[in-house]
Parts: sequence; structure tokens; C-alpha cells
Amino acid sequence: MTAVTTATTSARAADGSGSSAPRPIVRNEVGLDPVVSQGPALLAGIGHGPGLTAHRRRVGDAPSPTADGLVALAEAVDLRGRGGAGFPAAIKLAAAHHRKAVVVVNAAEGEPASRKDAALMALAPHVVLDGAVAVAHALKTREVHIVVPSELPSLGFVLEEALAERVDAGERITWQLHDAAPRFVAGQASAVLELLAGRENLPVTSWAPAAVRGHRRRPTLLSNAETFAHLGHMARVGASGYRAHGTAAEPGTTLLTLRGDGWDPVVCEVAYGTALRQILTPAEMDQPLLLGGYHGTWLKPAQMRDLAVSRQDIAAAGATLGAGVMLPLSAGWCPLVRTEALVEYLAGQSAMRCGPCMNGLPALAEALRDLVHRGGPVATVEALCTAVTHRGACAHPDGTARLVTSMLTRFPEEVDLHALGECRGGRHEVFA
Amino acid sequence: MSHTLAVDWPACKAHGLCAEILPEVVSLDQWGFPIVHEKVTRDLLDMAKTTVKACPTLALRLVASPKRH
Repeated sequence: MTAVTTATTSARAADGSGSSAPRPIVRNEVGLDPVVSQGPALLAGIGHGPGLTAHRRRVGDAPSPTADGLVALAEAVDLRGRGGAGFPAAIKLAAAHHRKAVVVVNAAEGEPASRKDAALMALAPHVVLDGAVAVAHALKTREVHIVVPSELPSLGFVLEEALAERVDAGERITWQLHDAAPRFVAGQASAVLELLAGRENLPVTSWAPAAVRGHRRRPTLLSNAETFAHLGHMARVGASGYRAHGTAAEPGTTLLTLRGDGWDPVVCEVAYGTALRQILTPAEMDQPLLLGGYHGTWLKPAQMRDLAVSRQDIAAAGATLGAGVMLPLSAGWCPLVRTEALVEYLAGQSAMRCGPCMNGLPALAEALRDLVHRGGPVATVEALCTAVTHRGACAHPDGTARLVTSMLTRFPEEVDLHALGECRGGRHEVFA
Repeated sequence: MSHTLAVDWPACKAHGLCAEILPEVVSLDQWGFPIVHEKVTRDLLDMAKTTVKACPTLALRLVASPKRH
């Protein structure tokens, strides 16, 4: 299912990765073949394969922390959720620590560009499952649900195998696997709860956080797969062990997905504080970067020069890391043209349930097409961004508006050029 | 304690009664979906309750603001 090779060639040669030792490169056959490199913490054992025996030999038994212990640890290292919003894990854990809690591992990455959770689940399933077991132990529950994306069926097979190994090993957890619908908004928290309830896998209005009232109105710790891996790792190595990587303010590591034109997606694990120039090639550093995926924000090369993978630094630059997706723009491409294409796609991904999103996103895509290809007014685009924000059951319209707004604020010169019918990216006809 | 009118967006089908009954708080966007532009003040509270009951799709809720969990 997953092939481990030591090939070090890739279409995209990353420069100055900081370490001179050659790292094994693992190609997995899940989805779009991401190239996954070994990492310092969560991805440390991928060279040994996804099996439970190798995992146990490497890390020992699954941790069994108390709720108070796990909350204190998460607080000490300021662990944040890795689904995109970056919510403090300690607060969520404490909120869900009540009778009849349920644990939900969300591996259904809504962000279409992201492959990190799929890579983590395929190559290190037991790292995630140990985390889920640790959380289940802390919350005194045995009920763990795992949501996997149905567009990656091989991931489900890997997981079934991994769960069978754990059952054979005598672990007393009731695992339930669910297939999420193959669409952008299916991984959103309320959509996942709908799926678990047997209804259509689409976002609904949630009047209370899942940790307070989630699956069957029970307190539900619903987090992204990577978050569980961090919780398990943290419970095993403790706060000081977790601090072995990262900075004093932001300890630990994070998974990234790098994607661009003409090369396979790359999934890697980096410590917080790692400079962007150690991750991207010099050529990519000279181009705009879409940080955080399709719902992310654009950064200009001048902003990227001294930027590190740090929530604080990235927030100061007016962006967010989101779910850790980095989309460098190829040379010769216009960020406006790219944004317009993305918004077109995003408009098509609306669940067509909430009025402002159903009507507003196609209108926004149309207004943006008008701006980019026909020199149309910026004001219409801005007004539509405002019209869709905070007006839906999920953050899909908000994320789309964020992408467009960042395009307008980062590239005012290009916007002016397009108004004149010109474009610096020479690869397309502006007034097609 | 002041209140806010919250919209259950998937439930809302743009009937527009809310903006008819409570124009002080709700206006409509270009597609007829509500824009909640003001908080519900004490003097509007009863009218807001009427609005919530009047919605044909029961897509409105009166919630205490600031939001509680």
C-alpha cells in the first residue's frame, strides 16, 4: 500500500533544508502521491513502516494520561489545533471533560490542497491512534470515531489494518470509521457531526461548540488528526520532551503541505521557528506565496524574507498558517489570475445551503473575473467580500473572502495594471 | 443584558418577514437574506421575540450577547 524508498530525487529540489544528513523520502500511494520526508517528532518513525509492532518497539505503550495532566501539558506547551483555526487544545479538552464524552478524529481534510493528515494517517497511523487513545483515557471514554476522506479509499484500508492490529493487541477501544463526502466543506466540524448522526455530510448551524454539545448532544472532543498525534506525542514525552523542538514561545513541530505547478505535493514536519527560506527554494522565495491554502492569504516576497513558521510572526504579517499549506506561485504566473481561478473553484464548492454563500460566492467569482480579465471595478469585489463574511453555517465564505481580500491588499499595483488591461504574468491573455 | 438576533443560515429561505417586522435590527441583502445590523435593545425585545416566532422556517434565534458557550 505504501512504498518506502530512500530515493532523494524529487522534481522540486529544496535548498538549504538546514540538515546535511540525507533524509529518507517516502512516497506513499495515497491520493496524489505526496513526497513525505522523515520528521523530528510525528514523522520520526515512517522509515519503519506503518505497523504496530515497529511503532511499539520505537515508542513503547500508548500513553494513559489523566484529564488534568493532559490539559496541564497542552497548556504548558500552548498546543493548538491543526485543522486551521488554531484553537487552544487545552480549552477544548477541559470543556469536553464531562460524563459520556466522545472522541472524534477528523482526518477528512477539507482544504483540498492539504495532504498532511492523509500522509500522517497513511504512514504513521499509530502515532495518531495513540493520541486518540490517550485522549479517550483522559476523558474516561472508550468511544472513538475516525472520519476519513472517501476520495482516498486506500487510507481507509490502511486504517482498518491499523485498527485490527490494535484490537488484536487487546486494546479496549470501540473504533468507528466514517467516510466523509468528497467535498471541501465535509471536514468542517458541524458537517462531521452530521455525518456521525447519519445525516447528509454538510455544515449546519451549531449553537454550541462540539466540546460542550456534540455527537448525540454529548461532550465531543473533535479535532484534526495531526492534533491527536501531537497530543499523543506530548503525553508520551512530557512538556520538556515536547520542547525539544520549536521555540520557547511556540514549542513543538507542525506538518506542512507544499504544492506547486509541475511537481508532486510535499509533506514535511518542521519545528516552529524554522525560517521560510529553509523550506522554500530561492526561486520560490522570489515569488508570491499563498499561505494557508485556498482559504489562505497571499504573502509578497518582501514579507517572506525574514518570516519563520511561527503563529505570531505570521499573524504579524497579516496572514495565518491555517492547516499548514504553502502554495508558491510559479514564475511567470499572475497572482490575480491564480486567485480568480481558485475563487471559481471555491464558488463551486458551496454546499448551496446558506443564502449568502450560495448567491454571494458565484457573484464574487463573477466580479473577480470581471476585475481580472476586463478591468472591472474593485468596489464590487470588496462589497461582495463583506456580504459573505460571517453569514453562513461554516467558514467557507469567510475563507474565500479572506483569499480575495488578501489579493487586493497585497497586489494593488497588479490590480491597477489589470484595470488598464495589462498583466505582468505573461502566460495568458488578460482580455480573453 | 443585551440580545442579538442569530440566523440559522441553512434554514433561512429569504422570506424576509424579519426585515418587515423588525427593520430597526434587520435589513435584507440583494438576494433577500437578512443582514442583522443592530443589537436587540431592551425596548425591541418583545418585537424581536415576535420576529423569531414569525419566521416561516424558524431560522431565527434570540441569543444573549456577548455570545455564551
